[in-house]
Amino acid sequence: MRLRMNAVLGGTLMALVLGTAVTSFFWTPANPLRIAMRARLNAPSAAHWLGTDEVGRDVVSRLMAGAGTSCLVAALTVLAAVVLGSLIGLLSGFARGWVDRVLMLVNDALLAFPGILLALGLLAVLGASQWGIVAALGLAYTPTVARIVRGAVLSIREREFVEASRSIGNSALYTMWRHVLPGTVSPLIVLATSLFGWAILAESALSFLGLGVPPPAPTWGNMLAAARPYLESAVWLGVAPGACIALTLLGVNLLGDALRDQLDPRSRPQ
Amino acid sequence: MTATYALKRLAMAVPTLLLVAVAVFALLRLVPGDPAQLMLGDAADADQLAALRESMGLNHSLPVQFFNWLGAALRGDLGRSLSNDQPVLPLILERFQVTASIVLLAVALAALIAIPLGTIAAWKQNSLLDIAVVGGATLLLSIPSFWLGLLMLLFFGLKLGWVPVIGYVGFGENPWQALLYIVLPVVTLTLIETGVLTRMARSAAIDVLRLEYVAHARSKGLREFTVLRRHVLPNAFAPTLTLLGIVLGNLLGGIAVIETVFTIPGLGRLLVDGIYARDYPVVQGTMLFVAAIYVLVNLLTDLLYPFFDPRVAAE
Amino acid sequence: MKTASLLAGLAAAALGILPAVAQEPLRASLNSDIRSTQPGGNRDANTDAVTLHMVEGLVALDERATPVPMLAQTVEVSPDGRTYTFTLRQGVTFHNGAPLTSAEVLWSLRRYMDPATQWRCLPDLNGRSGIAKVTDMAAPDARTVTVTLEQPAALFLSIIARPDCGETAVLHPSSVGADGAWVKPVGTGPFMMGEWRRGQFVELERFDGYASLPGERNGLAGGKKAQVAKLRFVVIPDSSAAKAALLAGNVDVLSEVPAPELPDLRRSAGVTVMAAPTMGVTALLMQTRDPLLKDARIRRAIALSLDVPELVTAMIGDDAPANASPLPSASAFRSEAQAARPTRDVAAAKRLLAEAGYRGQTIRMITNRRYPNVYDAAVASQAMAAEAGIKIELEVLDWATQLDRYTRGEYQMMSFIYSPRLDPSLSYEMLSGPKDTQPRKVWEDPEALALIGRSMTTTDTAARQAIFDELYKRFMDQVPMVILYNQPDYMAVRRGVQGARPWAGGLTRLWNVSRD
Repeated sequence: MRLRMNAVLGGTLMALVLGTAVTSFFWTPANPLRIAMRARLNAPSAAHWLGTDEVGRDVVSRLMAGAGTSCLVAALTVLAAVVLGSLIGLLSGFARGWVDRVLMLVNDALLAFPGILLALGLLAVLGASQWGIVAALGLAYTPTVARIVRGAVLSIREREFVEASRSIGNSALYTMWRHVLPGTVSPLIVLATSLFGWAILAESALSFLGLGVPPPAPTWGNMLAAARPYLESAVWLGVAPGACIALTLLGVNLLGDALRDQLDPRSRPQ
Repeated sequence: MTATYALKRLAMAVPTLLLVAVAVFALLRLVPGDPAQLMLGDAADADQLAALRESMGLNHSLPVQFFNWLGAALRGDLGRSLSNDQPVLPLILERFQVTASIVLLAVALAALIAIPLGTIAAWKQNSLLDIAVVGGATLLLSIPSFWLGLLMLLFFGLKLGWVPVIGYVGFGENPWQALLYIVLPVVTLTLIETGVLTRMARSAAIDVLRLEYVAHARSKGLREFTVLRRHVLPNAFAPTLTLLGIVLGNLLGGIAVIETVFTIPGLGRLLVDGIYARDYPVVQGTMLFVAAIYVLVNLLTDLLYPFFDPRVAAE
Repeated sequence: MKTASLLAGLAAAALGILPAVAQEPLRASLNSDIRSTQPGGNRDANTDAVTLHMVEGLVALDERATPVPMLAQTVEVSPDGRTYTFTLRQGVTFHNGAPLTSAEVLWSLRRYMDPATQWRCLPDLNGRSGIAKVTDMAAPDARTVTVTLEQPAALFLSIIARPDCGETAVLHPSSVGADGAWVKPVGTGPFMMGEWRRGQFVELERFDGYASLPGERNGLAGGKKAQVAKLRFVVIPDSSAAKAALLAGNVDVLSEVPAPELPDLRRSAGVTVMAAPTMGVTALLMQTRDPLLKDARIRRAIALSLDVPELVTAMIGDDAPANASPLPSASAFRSEAQAARPTRDVAAAKRLLAEAGYRGQTIRMITNRRYPNVYDAAVASQAMAAEAGIKIELEVLDWATQLDRYTRGEYQMMSFIYSPRLDPSLSYEMLSGPKDTQPRKVWEDPEALALIGRSMTTTDTAARQAIFDELYKRFMDQVPMVILYNQPDYMAVRRGVQGARPWAGGLTRLWNVSRD
């Protein structure tokens, strides 16, 4: 019952977000980039359902357009981190020995590197853009993925079925593919959903520190950061993107839980 | 066995830290802008720039600068700040005290709340309680920290006037005042970390609940509560511990935002201010310090891991 | 002298009568910690503001940012314009109780002229920058100091009065240790150095022996009185946190208010917001060597596509007018002739673009989030230019990176803020020069450079005015940049704080400020 509820609620939320993102490419109530300096910080009205921002742009339109940018950046970040991190984690956990040691050395160094310096450095070198943020955050999350995958591999490879697979003469690669990799899926999915959330949050934190996706393109993160000074005089400016972030994260996490229950053979109802 | 293992791990930390030092140095010099330019601002004349760079020791080649710094660092001298000429190491230690007290308090509180909560949710998996816990945790971790911090600041500091909205007082100076100043940042961090840790603890507990020995314990007729307390809770703690290590490490870097919102003179702000001011010695020193702390915390969690996880201990 | 001792006596009396009133220090925000306590050394605007509460120079800027006597009673210039004779005021004492004599003045000046001190303004006084060259300094008697220049220099007093030069403050030699290293400022100002807790606050204490000039507060000169026993500058880097601190009563004065925080503060009943236009310049720079922007028609089209008065009104309301001239609106030399700016004309802009063969190429404009007004100006002008078919892409950099690009001249467009230049010649000097040797300069026009050079040696006001009007004409004709306005200095105080005023110089002054 819970499984279905998770899937339905999470799926609905995500469908809503993705649907909005896609719609925004064709239609928004107003041009999200058009400023109207005389109509700054207008309260919600019939013309502007969620009011206007600090340079008079329509907040609803910006929220819709922001859905696209935010989700794209987060998804690409997660993809980059998961692919790179899994490779490192699998290799390191399975190979052990010096390969493991070297990989973990680099991994630990990367992990010990506060994300903000990494982001600032990379953004300064690559130029502040969506791709810079994807690269910076993707790289920042890679070691976390690698560590978790390695941990999972280490605990799985000691299990009886892996021993068995090896003892009947299956190659290491086959064993890894057939028995070890599936075992890492469940923690990876939980992690990936968290990462998606972290990426959306990190983008907003980077915006707060002045390093987010550059304007005029709206993201929920840079909208939230820009709304900060107006908490007293224009509450809607901050509440709207904040709620969007929270709901999206709720959706993606619920969906992640549902997927986890589906994918993990051990969790099927007995 | 544990002692030699610990020594081996410590030896392995040396190349890690060296790698961090090189990477920080390289990245820092790749970032455009330099401290001399910042000081002279929009009137930077070429001669003046050159003179100032020379006085800051930036006229040497990069390898010379690096080895000068490294050599001094190995002797325990991290140099002096280019912004205000303070010696870097005491600066870091002073700021670290502030950050550590907030982070440790917040993570301890979060773990105290999250692990029991996660275990109970796992035990009552799919119940209304579970849904409420997971939903609550998810909601908590989906709020940007600076946003939550600011809301708390506006509400408790401004509307209710219960706590001062800015500043910091050391515990040594006035414990009661100190508490007043750090309560909001600690609560903000605790709430957010609780969200992360609860989900992890729950997922770890679910894994443990499926293991044979839990079924075995149950079949022996142990009461459900005893099973939970004696077998599930301690074992669910082990993976969470690993995560705790990561969380602690990330927090040291990521707390900058919270420290900025609450105007706390901590390590995170030192680092961010240092980056913006291109204060090379401060950034290099802080990064090396954070990396060392991080390595240490991870070593500790790894050493503690076998005590909590029956599967690793059995190996 | 009488006034001074009278004031000192009054201050002492006030202390005796009202022992408990000013226990709690007057607290003002600072958006970053000061860099040092050394005047004109390792400094930034905050450092200047704090140190100038403790130290004073021979001359100081008045309310209109022109130099007037401060520690000097009189300043006389020899007929050949080369020798300045400063006669010191009597009765002035340093924080350590020692009287001010020409010996300390000479010691201070020699210290500044020593390259080892790394005084910011040394290049302006040793001939390097071409403004002035000091050839001799002497103290004929205990009350007199003379400074001799190689050639007459119209800007000499303006330079030594500059806040970023630390007002060329007169210091007691005990400000440095036996090894020559800086200890703390032992000056003549109304406040003395107290506790500096780095990253948290700087506290200053009232100097009871202060000898004030008569009269009202006048810029960094005029009458000064420390109304509070202690003054605390609290470091609050985040502007929203600073706003919250003011509203909650954790600070009394916001010494700087970024524009986005204004609406909330103005709505609040317990807070007063004040504004005064400064001499800083907010502008959109264009790289005249860029393959695209080297065409003046495109630059003019960009200027024509912007509705600057609209943009400025929307950003800051009536706090400061739009201003197209490099000279600040507060400058006495910004004549009527310099008030004209072509009104927005999108059709004309489009025509110019077509003529120049512009085909929608992307123009990258650099901006930053450290200065909200610079950022807002970039966002607004991008949208306005788009209506004329000009495609501008914003590149948001951190300030250090933007400054690096500025210094190298590596940009197409840049939304930028210049720090205040207090003399009209310097206003033009800051933006024009040969790009080969000074890539940071925006405007490269040999004839304009000749005019600027002439303005620095001309002392006749009418002749100077004519030069600046001519410069403005050339500037508007070539459009190397679009100047928007002069950013106002905002200050916000809680109810009960008396006597605080913002200033065109932009520095916070907390003498003559009291709290009920």
